[in-house]
Amino acid sequence: MLVIRGLAAVPGMAIGTVKMLSAKNESELLNYVQGAAEEEATKYHLAHAAALQEVAEVVAEATRKAWREQAEIMEAHQSILSDPILAENILAKIEQGAAAPAAVRAATEEIADLFAGLENAYLRERAGDVRDVGSRIVRVLLGGQSQRFDDSGTILCAGELPPSVVATLPSDKVAGLILGQGSLTSHAVIMAKARGLPTLVGLGEQIQQLEDGAPVILDATHGLLIINPTAEQLAAYGHKIAEERDKQAQYRSLAQLPATTRDGKKVVVAANIGQPEEIDAAVEHGCEGVGLLRTEFIFMGRDSMPSEEEQFRAYKYVIERCQGQLCVIRTLDIGGDKPLPYLNIAKEDNPFLGWRAIRISLKRTDIFRTQLRAILRAAAFGKTAIMLPMIVSVSEIVQAKALLAQAKAELAAEGGPVPTDIPLGIMVETPAAAVMAVEFAKECDFFSIGTNDLVQYTLAADRGNHSVSYLFDHFHPAVLRLIAMTVRAAHASKIWVGVCGEMAGDPLATELLISLGVDELSMGAPAIPIIKDLIRHAQLDDALARDILRLDSVERVREYLSKDKGAKQKLKS
Amino acid sequence: MVEARVVLTNKLGLHARSAAMLTKVAAKFESVVHLYGASKSANVKSVLMVMALGVTKGAELTITAHGPDEAACLAALTDLIANNFYEE
Repeated sequence: MLVIRGLAAVPGMAIGTVKMLSAKNESELLNYVQGAAEEEATKYHLAHAAALQEVAEVVAEATRKAWREQAEIMEAHQSILSDPILAENILAKIEQGAAAPAAVRAATEEIADLFAGLENAYLRERAGDVRDVGSRIVRVLLGGQSQRFDDSGTILCAGELPPSVVATLPSDKVAGLILGQGSLTSHAVIMAKARGLPTLVGLGEQIQQLEDGAPVILDATHGLLIINPTAEQLAAYGHKIAEERDKQAQYRSLAQLPATTRDGKKVVVAANIGQPEEIDAAVEHGCEGVGLLRTEFIFMGRDSMPSEEEQFRAYKYVIERCQGQLCVIRTLDIGGDKPLPYLNIAKEDNPFLGWRAIRISLKRTDIFRTQLRAILRAAAFGKTAIMLPMIVSVSEIVQAKALLAQAKAELAAEGGPVPTDIPLGIMVETPAAAVMAVEFAKECDFFSIGTNDLVQYTLAADRGNHSVSYLFDHFHPAVLRLIAMTVRAAHASKIWVGVCGEMAGDPLATELLISLGVDELSMGAPAIPIIKDLIRHAQLDDALARDILRLDSVERVREYLSKDKGAKQKLKS
Repeated sequence: MVEARVVLTNKLGLHARSAAMLTKVAAKFESVVHLYGASKSANVKSVLMVMALGVTKGAELTITAHGPDEAACLAALTDLIANNFYEE
């Protein structure tokens, strides 16, 4: 038993047998019969055409399977294959008397060397793409087929792996990848990541210790490879792998189904995200769009205002990945507690009751205008809605609408595509907004209840203050009544109402919120499958809500909900 | 022959995808196009030569076009660069 270490490039675990990838076709080369220059040129042209065909097929398959990275990388291979300079170089060498395979090898090496000296790491790695293309042509010339994988549980091992090989690895046969080279950004790694294939890189010389057919455990999550594992190790890992597989299967099955209660009420379960990259995990967890895109990320951690272009690209990134479902973007919600160096917020005694969020946007209309323009432009790429934070008066909504109309007019005058229908809603997170929800509902297209701040302002307790954080509880009857009031007002004006605070992701609150009539729940990705499952098992009218709203303390509410849940569990089993 | 000075403002500079776009656009015209960087030059018909320039964001380049449709060709290429290769 031997343990070797490497760099974890793509996490995951696999048990299998090593298969060493032979890259060089050495024996076939020795048997190659060279003809006259003209003959070699013809052979090259035929091999080149066949190689182009092969790559076109890989691109088509990757596109079909929506493996974007792979498709893009293989398209890059297509353009390298079609490069006239490469062809000229190869033909020139054939003219000078080289056999076709040797000419291809030498030409690609020369060109690859041009890249090797570049400063930029990304460009340096393109040398690998050039060599990959060259190897493909040589393989065709030698009459070889693409690598075949016949055994399942194959842990493929190579010094370097041409991206084109990774692109066509059969998922049912290859369980993991081990690479000698150390780059975490090579195309091979990018593609392995896109396919969820556990990968260990940077083994360098240690690769020599591997033999074809050796049994191994690949623990790419911890950067380990166990060669000739003991029975105990095999059992332990077998267990871990099975557990992980079950968890993933559960997510997948839950993720696909919509969250409709047993009496047919459909509740939208969306994601709260704080960074654009989070959308992918959110989609995997089954989100139906984004109920809250916090835009602070793009304003923080920098010393100057983000440009319209930067904002546009970030918003577009998320909108496009919502798969046709709604993406609700909340305008800047920042204040004295998270100071921005380029925004002069004077020192405040009480930043949570201070100059923040919509108050900044309506005063600094230059910032607001830029953000609105970026959102409007990004809205051309998918269903989008705008949400205003910390609203306390109707006049704030009216002012914001005027600025939005102005931004739309400007964009239209510039000739850009302007979405005609962008819903505008508000966060209901202040007691003022909840108490006057009837009036506010007339000015909005939707509400989203921000329970975190609503609880804080209603119970006058700072959840971050240890001496009073015990007071902070979204099951407080005062909060529940404000939520009920908000939902009633929303539905009276025929607008939808969602919840985007932590309460939305609290399994104990799910049935209550549905019974109260909430139409949408937006939460962090991990909670989505669980909440969806709860919704599917629920059968509710407003009875639960009415019963709970009669209670007068947090303790009684929690007691009721836990007992109710317990009783239902018993019924289920 | 016509020429123009451009600055690359897209995030990744002349990488595989943007180099390929440059080549594709140039291929629509008859003119011969060259790209001149700090110390190297490339014939734009070759995506490999363009990539091998190793040009990154912020780099200043000179593009030249020579042929019957040189003006239109140069305009199309400078336009592509000015639009950051329509990158995300």
